[in-house]
Amino acid sequence: MSAEPHAMERPQGPAEVAARRVLADARELQGVFLRTLYWTAKGRREPGEVARQCFEVGYRSAFFLSVTMGFIGMILVFQSGLQLLRVVPDLTLLGATFLELLVRDLGPTIAAMMLATRVGAGIAAEIGSMVVTEQVDALRMCGVDPVDHLVVPRFIASVVMTAALVMFSGLVSFAAGGATAWFVFDVQPLTYINFSLLDRGDLITGLLKCVAYGAAIPIVSGWCGLTTRGGSEGVGSATTSAVVNSSLAVIMLDLVLTGAGFVVFV
Amino acid sequence: MIEVTKVWKRFAAPVLCDVTLTVPTGCLYGLIGPGAAGKSVLLKCLAGLLRPERGSVRLFGQAIEALDEVSLQAVRNRVGMLFQNNALFDHLTVAENIAFPMRRRGITDESVIAARVADRLRAVSLAGFEQRLPGGLSGGQKKRVGVARATVTRAEVVLYDEPAAGLDPVTSQKIFDLLRREQQEAGATVVMVSSDIDRLLTVTDRVGMMLDGALIFDGTTAEAKGSLHPVVKQFVHGEVDGPL
Repeated sequence: MSAEPHAMERPQGPAEVAARRVLADARELQGVFLRTLYWTAKGRREPGEVARQCFEVGYRSAFFLSVTMGFIGMILVFQSGLQLLRVVPDLTLLGATFLELLVRDLGPTIAAMMLATRVGAGIAAEIGSMVVTEQVDALRMCGVDPVDHLVVPRFIASVVMTAALVMFSGLVSFAAGGATAWFVFDVQPLTYINFSLLDRGDLITGLLKCVAYGAAIPIVSGWCGLTTRGGSEGVGSATTSAVVNSSLAVIMLDLVLTGAGFVVFV
Repeated sequence: MIEVTKVWKRFAAPVLCDVTLTVPTGCLYGLIGPGAAGKSVLLKCLAGLLRPERGSVRLFGQAIEALDEVSLQAVRNRVGMLFQNNALFDHLTVAENIAFPMRRRGITDESVIAARVADRLRAVSLAGFEQRLPGGLSGGQKKRVGVARATVTRAEVVLYDEPAAGLDPVTSQKIFDLLRREQQEAGATVVMVSSDIDRLLTVTDRVGMMLDGALIFDGTTAEAKGSLHPVVKQFVHGEVDGPL
Protein backbone atom coordinates (compact mmCIF):
# COMPACT_ATOMS: atom_id res chain seq x y z
CA MET A 1 0.00 0.00 0.00
CA SER A 2 1.28 3.52 -0.79
CA ALA A 3 1.73 6.12 1.91
CA GLU A 4 -1.45 8.03 2.72
CA PRO A 5 -1.28 11.37 0.86
CA HIS A 6 -2.92 13.30 3.69
CA ALA A 7 -0.05 12.46 6.00
CA MET A 8 2.18 14.60 3.79
CA GLU A 9 0.05 17.75 4.14
CA ARG A 10 1.11 20.49 6.58
CA PRO A 11 -0.95 20.76 9.78
CA GLN A 12 -3.64 23.50 9.86
CA GLY A 13 -4.36 25.87 12.74
CA PRO A 14 -7.87 26.18 14.20
CA ALA A 15 -8.44 29.55 12.48
CA GLU A 16 -7.47 28.11 9.10
CA VAL A 17 -9.68 25.08 9.65
CA ALA A 18 -12.63 27.35 10.60
CA ALA A 19 -12.02 29.63 7.60
CA ARG A 20 -11.88 26.65 5.24
CA ARG A 21 -15.09 25.29 6.71
CA VAL A 22 -16.90 28.63 6.29
CA LEU A 23 -15.70 28.84 2.67
CA ALA A 24 -16.77 25.25 2.00
CA ASP A 25 -20.20 25.92 3.57
CA ALA A 26 -20.59 29.09 1.50
CA ARG A 27 -19.73 27.14 -1.67
CA GLU A 28 -22.26 24.42 -0.79
CA LEU A 29 -24.97 26.98 -0.01
CA GLN A 30 -24.25 28.76 -3.27
CA GLY A 31 -24.50 25.41 -5.07
CA VAL A 32 -27.93 24.70 -3.53
CA PHE A 33 -29.07 28.24 -4.42
CA LEU A 34 -27.95 27.98 -8.07
CA ARG A 35 -29.37 24.47 -8.48
CA THR A 36 -32.67 25.65 -6.97
CA LEU A 37 -32.90 28.42 -9.57
CA TYR A 38 -31.85 26.03 -12.36
CA TRP A 39 -34.41 23.37 -11.46
CA THR A 40 -37.15 25.93 -10.81
CA ALA A 41 -36.75 26.93 -14.44
CA LYS A 42 -36.07 23.49 -15.93
CA GLY A 43 -37.27 20.87 -13.46
CA ARG A 44 -40.28 18.59 -13.66
CA ARG A 45 -42.71 18.83 -10.74
CA GLU A 46 -44.54 15.88 -9.25
CA PRO A 47 -48.27 16.56 -9.72
CA GLY A 48 -49.71 18.27 -6.64
CA GLU A 49 -46.38 18.54 -4.81
CA VAL A 50 -46.19 22.36 -4.92
CA ALA A 51 -49.83 22.58 -3.79
CA ARG A 52 -49.08 20.20 -0.90
CA GLN A 53 -46.12 22.34 0.14
CA CYS A 54 -48.22 25.52 -0.16
CA PHE A 55 -50.66 23.91 2.25
CA GLU A 56 -47.81 22.95 4.62
CA VAL A 57 -46.10 26.34 4.50
CA GLY A 58 -49.15 28.55 4.16
CA TYR A 59 -52.25 27.08 5.73
CA ARG A 60 -50.47 25.36 8.60
CA SER A 61 -48.53 28.54 9.49
CA ALA A 62 -51.42 30.99 9.14
CA PHE A 63 -52.86 30.64 12.66
CA PHE A 64 -49.47 30.68 14.42
CA LEU A 65 -48.33 33.68 12.41
CA SER A 66 -51.58 35.62 12.84
CA VAL A 67 -51.60 35.16 16.60
CA THR A 68 -47.93 36.17 16.88
CA MET A 69 -48.31 39.19 14.63
CA GLY A 70 -51.51 40.20 16.39
CA PHE A 71 -49.78 40.31 19.75
CA ILE A 72 -46.79 42.13 18.26
CA GLY A 73 -49.16 44.71 16.76
CA MET A 74 -50.78 45.28 20.15
CA ILE A 75 -47.44 45.57 21.95
CA LEU A 76 -45.92 47.93 19.40
CA VAL A 77 -48.92 50.27 19.27
CA PHE A 78 -49.14 50.31 23.06
CA GLN A 79 -45.43 51.10 23.49
CA SER A 80 -45.41 53.63 20.63
CA GLY A 81 -48.46 55.38 22.08
CA LEU A 82 -46.82 55.67 25.50
CA GLN A 83 -43.61 57.06 24.00
CA LEU A 84 -45.47 59.52 21.76
CA LEU A 85 -47.51 60.84 24.68
CA ARG A 86 -44.30 61.73 26.49
CA VAL A 87 -43.23 63.97 23.59
CA VAL A 88 -46.44 65.29 22.01
CA PRO A 89 -49.99 64.73 23.28
CA ASP A 90 -51.18 63.92 19.76
CA LEU A 91 -51.76 60.37 18.53
CA THR A 92 -53.41 61.16 15.19
CA LEU A 93 -50.44 59.72 13.25
CA LEU A 94 -50.08 56.63 15.43
CA GLY A 95 -51.80 54.37 12.88
CA ALA A 96 -50.05 55.91 9.89
CA THR A 97 -46.60 55.55 11.48
CA PHE A 98 -47.28 51.98 12.55
CA LEU A 99 -48.61 51.08 9.10
CA GLU A 100 -45.52 52.44 7.35
CA LEU A 101 -43.25 50.55 9.73
CA LEU A 102 -45.33 47.40 9.35
CA VAL A 103 -45.35 47.44 5.55
CA ARG A 104 -41.76 48.49 5.05
CA ASP A 105 -40.00 46.40 7.67
CA LEU A 106 -41.66 44.83 10.69
CA GLY A 107 -44.37 42.84 8.91
CA PRO A 108 -42.13 40.92 6.49
CA THR A 109 -39.19 40.58 8.88
CA ILE A 110 -40.98 39.40 12.01
CA ALA A 111 -43.25 37.10 10.00
CA ALA A 112 -40.20 35.65 8.23
CA MET A 113 -38.42 35.06 11.54
CA MET A 114 -41.49 33.17 12.76
CA LEU A 115 -41.61 31.20 9.50
CA ALA A 116 -37.92 30.39 9.82
CA THR A 117 -38.62 28.65 13.13
CA ARG A 118 -41.64 26.73 11.92
CA VAL A 119 -41.04 26.07 8.23
CA GLY A 120 -37.22 26.05 8.29
CA ALA A 121 -37.09 23.51 11.10
CA GLY A 122 -39.62 21.29 9.32
CA ILE A 123 -37.73 21.36 6.02
CA ALA A 124 -34.39 20.56 7.64
CA ALA A 125 -35.82 17.76 9.78
CA GLU A 126 -37.63 16.12 6.85
CA ILE A 127 -34.69 16.31 4.44
CA GLY A 128 -32.17 15.47 7.17
CA SER A 129 -33.99 12.28 8.13
CA MET A 130 -34.09 11.31 4.45
CA VAL A 131 -30.32 11.84 4.28
CA VAL A 132 -29.53 9.61 7.25
CA THR A 133 -31.79 6.82 5.95
CA GLU A 134 -30.05 7.02 2.53
CA GLN A 135 -33.30 8.09 0.82
CA VAL A 136 -31.53 11.14 -0.62
CA ASP A 137 -28.81 8.89 -2.06
CA ALA A 138 -31.58 6.69 -3.49
CA LEU A 139 -33.10 9.76 -5.14
CA ARG A 140 -29.74 10.59 -6.70
CA MET A 141 -29.42 7.03 -7.97
CA CYS A 142 -32.86 7.36 -9.58
CA GLY A 143 -31.45 10.22 -11.64
CA VAL A 144 -33.04 12.88 -9.45
CA ASP A 145 -31.21 15.87 -8.06
CA PRO A 146 -32.42 16.08 -4.41
CA VAL A 147 -32.48 19.86 -4.76
CA ASP A 148 -34.97 19.50 -7.64
CA HIS A 149 -37.15 16.96 -5.84
CA LEU A 150 -37.00 18.22 -2.26
CA VAL A 151 -35.98 21.88 -2.18
CA VAL A 152 -37.62 23.35 -5.30
CA PRO A 153 -41.28 22.56 -4.40
CA ARG A 154 -40.69 24.06 -0.95
CA PHE A 155 -38.91 27.04 -2.52
CA ILE A 156 -41.82 27.83 -4.87
CA ALA A 157 -44.38 27.31 -2.10
CA SER A 158 -42.40 29.43 0.35
CA VAL A 159 -41.96 32.37 -2.05
CA VAL A 160 -45.68 32.44 -2.86
CA MET A 161 -47.00 31.72 0.62
CA THR A 162 -44.60 34.01 2.51
CA ALA A 163 -45.97 36.98 0.58
CA ALA A 164 -49.54 35.86 1.22
CA LEU A 165 -48.88 35.15 4.90
CA VAL A 166 -47.12 38.48 5.46
CA MET A 167 -50.07 40.36 3.94
CA PHE A 168 -52.62 38.43 5.96
CA SER A 169 -50.74 38.49 9.26
CA GLY A 170 -49.84 42.17 8.68
CA LEU A 171 -53.52 42.92 8.37
CA VAL A 172 -54.17 41.07 11.63
CA SER A 173 -51.34 42.96 13.29
CA PHE A 174 -52.63 46.33 12.08
CA ALA A 175 -56.16 45.48 13.22
CA ALA A 176 -54.94 44.32 16.65
CA GLY A 177 -52.89 47.50 16.94
CA GLY A 178 -56.00 49.51 16.01
CA ALA A 179 -58.01 47.82 18.74
CA THR A 180 -55.27 48.64 21.26
CA ALA A 181 -55.14 52.26 20.10
CA TRP A 182 -58.91 52.55 20.45
CA PHE A 183 -59.27 50.92 23.87
CA VAL A 184 -56.08 52.23 25.51
CA PHE A 185 -55.56 55.65 23.90
CA ASP A 186 -59.07 56.37 22.61
CA VAL A 187 -57.81 56.75 19.04
CA GLN A 188 -60.86 56.27 16.80
CA PRO A 189 -60.58 53.66 14.02
CA LEU A 190 -61.13 56.28 11.30
CA THR A 191 -58.20 58.25 12.68
CA TYR A 192 -56.05 55.15 13.13
CA ILE A 193 -56.60 53.88 9.55
CA ASN A 194 -54.41 56.42 7.82
CA PHE A 195 -52.46 55.66 4.64
CA SER A 196 -50.93 59.12 4.29
CA LEU A 197 -47.36 58.06 5.15
CA LEU A 198 -47.40 54.97 2.94
CA ASP A 199 -45.75 55.41 -0.44
CA ARG A 200 -44.65 53.32 -3.44
CA GLY A 201 -41.18 52.76 -1.92
CA ASP A 202 -42.68 51.22 1.22
CA LEU A 203 -44.81 48.81 -0.79
CA ILE A 204 -42.00 47.77 -3.16
CA THR A 205 -39.47 47.35 -0.35
CA GLY A 206 -41.94 45.30 1.69
CA LEU A 207 -42.83 43.09 -1.24
CA LEU A 208 -39.17 42.55 -2.16
CA LYS A 209 -38.48 41.50 1.41
CA CYS A 210 -41.34 38.98 1.29
CA VAL A 211 -39.88 37.41 -1.86
CA ALA A 212 -36.29 37.43 -0.56
CA TYR A 213 -37.20 35.92 2.81
CA GLY A 214 -39.51 33.40 1.19
CA ALA A 215 -36.65 32.29 -1.04
CA ALA A 216 -33.96 32.31 1.65
CA ILE A 217 -35.73 30.17 4.24
CA PRO A 218 -36.17 26.97 2.15
CA ILE A 219 -32.76 27.32 0.50
CA VAL A 220 -30.88 27.73 3.79
CA SER A 221 -32.97 25.07 5.54
CA GLY A 222 -32.72 22.71 2.58
CA TRP A 223 -28.95 23.11 2.57
CA CYS A 224 -28.86 22.36 6.33
CA GLY A 225 -30.95 19.24 5.74
CA LEU A 226 -28.90 18.03 2.78
CA THR A 227 -25.63 18.39 4.70
CA THR A 228 -26.87 16.32 7.65
CA ARG A 229 -24.26 13.88 8.98
CA GLY A 230 -24.66 10.94 11.32
CA GLY A 231 -27.94 9.66 12.73
CA SER A 232 -30.77 11.23 14.72
CA GLU A 233 -28.30 13.49 16.50
CA GLY A 234 -27.29 14.87 13.12
CA VAL A 235 -30.92 15.53 12.24
CA GLY A 236 -31.27 17.50 15.51
CA SER A 237 -28.18 19.56 14.71
CA ALA A 238 -29.40 20.21 11.17
CA THR A 239 -32.77 21.41 12.50
CA THR A 240 -31.11 23.78 14.96
CA SER A 241 -28.75 25.05 12.25
CA ALA A 242 -31.67 25.61 9.90
CA VAL A 243 -33.49 27.84 12.41
CA VAL A 244 -30.35 29.77 13.35
CA ASN A 245 -29.07 30.22 9.80
CA SER A 246 -32.49 31.04 8.31
CA SER A 247 -33.07 33.69 10.98
CA LEU A 248 -29.58 35.06 10.34
CA ALA A 249 -30.27 35.15 6.60
CA VAL A 250 -33.52 37.07 7.22
CA ILE A 251 -31.75 39.66 9.38
CA MET A 252 -28.89 40.08 6.89
CA LEU A 253 -31.30 40.40 3.96
CA ASP A 254 -33.31 42.91 5.98
CA LEU A 255 -30.24 45.10 6.40
CA VAL A 256 -29.33 44.88 2.71
CA LEU A 257 -32.85 45.49 1.40
CA THR A 258 -33.59 48.27 3.89
CA GLY A 259 -30.37 50.00 2.82
CA ALA A 260 -31.18 49.48 -0.87
CA GLY A 261 -34.75 50.72 -0.34
CA PHE A 262 -33.45 53.81 1.43
CA VAL A 263 -30.98 54.57 -1.36
CA VAL A 264 -33.52 54.02 -4.15
CA PHE A 265 -36.70 55.48 -2.73
CA VAL A 266 -35.69 58.22 -0.29
CA MET B 1 -16.31 -1.76 -17.54
CA ILE B 2 -15.68 -0.18 -14.15
CA GLU B 3 -12.17 1.09 -13.51
CA VAL B 4 -11.00 2.30 -10.14
CA THR B 5 -7.49 3.73 -10.08
CA LYS B 6 -5.52 4.61 -6.95
CA VAL B 7 -8.56 5.89 -5.06
CA TRP B 8 -8.16 7.49 -1.64
CA LYS B 9 -11.03 8.54 0.59
CA ARG B 10 -11.07 9.61 4.21
CA PHE B 11 -13.59 10.84 6.75
CA ALA B 12 -12.20 11.15 10.28
CA ALA B 13 -9.74 8.40 9.32
CA PRO B 14 -8.76 6.93 5.95
CA VAL B 15 -11.44 4.57 4.64
CA LEU B 16 -10.10 3.86 1.16
CA CYS B 17 -6.34 3.60 0.66
CA ASP B 18 -4.94 3.44 -2.86
CA VAL B 19 -7.65 1.12 -4.19
CA THR B 20 -7.20 -0.03 -7.77
CA LEU B 21 -9.77 -2.36 -9.27
CA THR B 22 -11.19 -3.31 -12.66
CA VAL B 23 -14.58 -4.96 -13.10
CA PRO B 24 -15.02 -6.27 -16.67
CA THR B 25 -18.29 -5.67 -18.51
CA GLY B 26 -20.86 -8.38 -17.76
CA CYS B 27 -19.02 -9.57 -14.66
CA LEU B 28 -20.66 -10.25 -11.30
CA TYR B 29 -18.06 -9.01 -8.86
CA GLY B 30 -18.32 -9.86 -5.17
CA LEU B 31 -16.75 -7.48 -2.66
CA ILE B 32 -16.05 -9.08 0.69
CA GLY B 33 -14.28 -8.12 3.88
CA PRO B 34 -14.83 -7.58 7.59
CA GLY B 35 -16.89 -4.66 8.92
CA ALA B 36 -15.56 -1.12 8.37
CA ALA B 37 -13.20 -2.34 5.63
CA GLY B 38 -14.47 0.31 3.18
CA LYS B 39 -16.74 -1.85 0.99
CA SER B 40 -19.85 0.35 1.16
CA VAL B 41 -17.75 3.50 0.74
CA LEU B 42 -16.16 2.04 -2.39
CA LEU B 43 -19.63 1.16 -3.70
CA LYS B 44 -20.78 4.75 -3.12
CA CYS B 45 -17.68 6.03 -4.92
CA LEU B 46 -18.60 3.79 -7.88
CA ALA B 47 -22.07 5.35 -7.89
CA GLY B 48 -20.67 8.89 -7.69
CA LEU B 49 -22.40 9.40 -4.35
CA LEU B 50 -19.04 10.02 -2.71
CA ARG B 51 -16.10 11.69 -4.41
CA PRO B 52 -12.63 10.31 -3.77
CA GLU B 53 -10.01 12.80 -2.66
CA ARG B 54 -7.40 11.22 -4.92
CA GLY B 55 -7.58 8.80 -7.79
CA SER B 56 -10.13 8.12 -10.46
CA VAL B 57 -13.37 6.15 -10.89
CA ARG B 58 -14.29 5.50 -14.53
CA LEU B 59 -17.78 4.33 -15.46
CA PHE B 60 -18.84 3.95 -19.11
CA GLY B 61 -15.47 5.48 -20.01
CA GLN B 62 -16.10 8.69 -18.02
CA ALA B 63 -14.15 9.84 -14.97
CA ILE B 64 -17.17 10.41 -12.74
CA GLU B 65 -15.31 12.18 -9.95
CA ALA B 66 -14.83 15.11 -12.32
CA LEU B 67 -18.51 15.44 -13.24
CA ASP B 68 -20.85 17.99 -11.64
CA GLU B 69 -24.12 16.86 -10.05
CA VAL B 70 -26.21 17.57 -13.15
CA SER B 71 -23.83 15.66 -15.48
CA LEU B 72 -23.66 12.79 -13.00
CA GLN B 73 -27.40 12.24 -13.41
CA ALA B 74 -26.89 11.05 -16.98
CA VAL B 75 -24.40 8.47 -15.71
CA ARG B 76 -26.61 7.41 -12.81
CA ASN B 77 -29.50 6.83 -15.20
CA ARG B 78 -27.49 3.81 -16.37
CA VAL B 79 -26.81 2.53 -12.84
CA GLY B 80 -29.08 0.76 -10.35
CA MET B 81 -28.31 0.49 -6.66
CA LEU B 82 -29.61 -1.35 -3.62
CA PHE B 83 -28.70 0.35 -0.36
CA GLN B 84 -27.67 -1.33 2.86
CA ASN B 85 -30.70 0.20 4.66
CA ASN B 86 -32.95 -0.27 1.61
CA ALA B 87 -33.65 3.49 1.43
CA LEU B 88 -37.28 3.06 0.40
CA PHE B 89 -39.26 6.29 0.15
CA ASP B 90 -41.51 6.32 3.23
CA HIS B 91 -44.34 8.30 1.65
CA LEU B 92 -44.65 6.11 -1.47
CA THR B 93 -46.35 2.72 -1.74
CA VAL B 94 -44.38 -0.38 -2.74
CA ALA B 95 -45.55 -0.05 -6.36
CA GLU B 96 -44.70 3.67 -6.44
CA ASN B 97 -41.27 2.98 -4.96
CA ILE B 98 -40.48 0.44 -7.65
CA ALA B 99 -41.91 2.61 -10.43
CA PHE B 100 -40.08 5.72 -9.26
CA PRO B 101 -36.81 5.20 -11.22
CA MET B 102 -38.80 4.43 -14.40
CA ARG B 103 -40.90 7.57 -14.11
CA ARG B 104 -37.87 9.73 -13.41
CA ARG B 105 -36.13 8.32 -16.47
CA GLY B 106 -38.99 9.58 -18.61
CA ILE B 107 -41.11 6.43 -19.02
CA THR B 108 -44.68 7.72 -19.06
CA ASP B 109 -46.67 4.77 -20.44
CA GLU B 110 -48.55 3.62 -17.34
CA SER B 111 -49.25 0.16 -18.81
CA VAL B 112 -45.51 -0.42 -19.33
CA ILE B 113 -44.78 0.78 -15.80
CA ALA B 114 -47.53 -1.39 -14.27
CA ALA B 115 -46.37 -4.48 -16.17
CA ARG B 116 -42.74 -3.98 -15.15
CA VAL B 117 -43.66 -3.36 -11.50
CA ALA B 118 -45.82 -6.50 -11.45
CA ASP B 119 -42.97 -8.49 -13.01
CA ARG B 120 -40.48 -7.24 -10.41
CA LEU B 121 -42.85 -7.97 -7.53
CA ARG B 122 -43.40 -11.50 -8.79
CA ALA B 123 -39.62 -11.95 -9.09
CA VAL B 124 -39.10 -11.06 -5.43
CA SER B 125 -42.21 -13.00 -4.29
CA LEU B 126 -44.13 -9.91 -3.22
CA ALA B 127 -47.07 -9.98 -5.63
CA GLY B 128 -50.09 -8.41 -3.92
CA PHE B 129 -47.99 -5.96 -1.91
CA GLU B 130 -48.38 -3.11 -4.42
CA GLN B 131 -50.38 -0.74 -2.22
CA ARG B 132 -48.52 -1.38 1.06
CA LEU B 133 -46.34 1.38 2.54
CA PRO B 134 -42.73 0.54 3.49
CA GLY B 135 -43.55 1.17 7.15
CA GLY B 136 -45.82 -1.89 7.13
CA LEU B 137 -43.20 -4.31 5.76
CA SER B 138 -40.76 -6.58 7.56
CA GLY B 139 -37.00 -6.07 7.14
CA GLY B 140 -36.76 -8.92 4.62
CA GLN B 141 -39.72 -7.61 2.61
CA LYS B 142 -38.18 -4.14 2.49
CA LYS B 143 -34.95 -5.67 1.22
CA ARG B 144 -36.84 -7.44 -1.55
CA VAL B 145 -38.64 -4.24 -2.55
CA GLY B 146 -35.20 -2.59 -2.68
CA VAL B 147 -33.97 -5.36 -4.99
CA ALA B 148 -37.04 -4.88 -7.21
CA ARG B 149 -36.40 -1.13 -7.42
CA ALA B 150 -32.70 -1.59 -8.17
CA THR B 151 -33.42 -3.93 -11.08
CA VAL B 152 -36.57 -2.31 -12.52
CA THR B 153 -34.78 -0.21 -15.14
CA ARG B 154 -32.52 -3.05 -16.35
CA ALA B 155 -29.51 -0.82 -15.70
CA GLU B 156 -26.15 -1.59 -17.33
CA VAL B 157 -24.38 -1.43 -13.98
CA VAL B 158 -26.02 -2.55 -10.74
CA LEU B 159 -24.53 -2.10 -7.28
CA TYR B 160 -25.87 -4.15 -4.37
CA ASP B 161 -24.97 -3.35 -0.77
CA GLU B 162 -25.87 -6.38 1.36
CA PRO B 163 -28.76 -7.70 -0.76
CA ALA B 164 -29.45 -10.58 1.63
CA ALA B 165 -28.95 -8.94 5.02
CA GLY B 166 -31.75 -9.85 7.40
CA LEU B 167 -33.15 -12.60 5.19
CA ASP B 168 -33.60 -16.24 6.15
CA PRO B 169 -31.23 -18.71 4.41
CA VAL B 170 -33.80 -19.92 1.88
CA THR B 171 -34.92 -16.43 0.83
CA SER B 172 -31.31 -15.32 0.85
CA GLN B 173 -30.29 -18.02 -1.61
CA LYS B 174 -33.36 -17.23 -3.74
CA ILE B 175 -32.34 -13.56 -3.86
CA PHE B 176 -28.76 -14.41 -4.88
CA ASP B 177 -30.04 -16.76 -7.58
CA LEU B 178 -32.49 -14.08 -8.77
CA LEU B 179 -29.77 -11.45 -8.94
CA ARG B 180 -27.48 -13.82 -10.85
CA ARG B 181 -30.26 -14.68 -13.30
CA GLU B 182 -31.09 -10.99 -13.79
CA GLN B 183 -27.45 -10.15 -14.35
CA GLN B 184 -27.02 -12.90 -16.94
CA GLU B 185 -30.23 -11.99 -18.78
CA ALA B 186 -29.41 -8.27 -18.90
CA GLY B 187 -25.67 -8.75 -19.41
CA ALA B 188 -25.20 -6.19 -16.64
CA THR B 189 -22.03 -5.47 -14.76
CA VAL B 190 -22.72 -6.07 -11.07
CA VAL B 191 -20.76 -5.26 -7.95
CA MET B 192 -22.18 -6.92 -4.86
CA VAL B 193 -21.15 -6.39 -1.26
CA SER B 194 -22.27 -9.15 1.08
CA SER B 195 -21.33 -10.68 4.39
CA ASP B 196 -23.03 -13.92 3.39
CA ILE B 197 -19.83 -15.30 1.87
CA ASP B 198 -21.02 -18.87 1.28
CA ARG B 199 -24.00 -17.81 -0.83
CA LEU B 200 -22.21 -14.89 -2.47
CA LEU B 201 -19.49 -17.16 -3.80
CA THR B 202 -22.09 -19.37 -5.49
CA VAL B 203 -22.96 -16.56 -7.91
CA THR B 204 -19.82 -14.43 -8.40
CA ASP B 205 -17.41 -14.45 -11.35
CA ARG B 206 -14.72 -12.52 -9.54
CA VAL B 207 -14.09 -11.57 -5.94
CA GLY B 208 -12.24 -8.73 -4.23
CA MET B 209 -11.42 -8.62 -0.55
CA MET B 210 -10.96 -5.39 1.38
CA LEU B 211 -9.23 -4.89 4.69
CA ASP B 212 -8.69 -1.56 6.44
CA GLY B 213 -9.53 0.39 3.29
CA ALA B 214 -7.18 -1.53 1.00
CA LEU B 215 -7.99 -4.13 -1.63
CA ILE B 216 -5.87 -7.08 -0.55
CA PHE B 217 -7.18 -9.64 -3.02
CA ASP B 218 -8.66 -9.51 -6.53
CA GLY B 219 -9.23 -12.69 -8.51
CA THR B 220 -11.72 -15.26 -9.75
CA THR B 221 -14.08 -16.99 -7.36
CA ALA B 222 -12.08 -20.20 -7.67
CA GLU B 223 -8.86 -18.31 -6.88
CA ALA B 224 -10.52 -16.77 -3.82
CA LYS B 225 -11.61 -20.16 -2.54
CA GLY B 226 -8.13 -21.58 -3.06
CA SER B 227 -6.19 -18.50 -1.92
CA LEU B 228 -3.27 -19.09 0.40
CA HIS B 229 -3.28 -15.45 1.57
CA PRO B 230 -3.81 -15.99 5.32
CA VAL B 231 -6.46 -13.25 5.71
CA VAL B 232 -8.38 -14.24 2.56
CA LYS B 233 -8.19 -17.92 3.46
CA GLN B 234 -9.46 -17.31 6.99
CA PHE B 235 -12.26 -15.00 5.85
CA VAL B 236 -13.48 -17.08 2.90
CA HIS B 237 -13.52 -20.30 4.89
CA GLY B 238 -14.82 -18.70 8.07
CA GLU B 239 -11.97 -19.99 10.20
CA VAL B 240 -11.74 -18.82 13.79
CA ASP B 241 -7.95 -19.01 14.04
CA GLY B 242 -5.94 -16.65 11.89
CA PRO B 243 -4.72 -13.07 11.52
CA LEU B 244 -8.23 -11.49 11.64
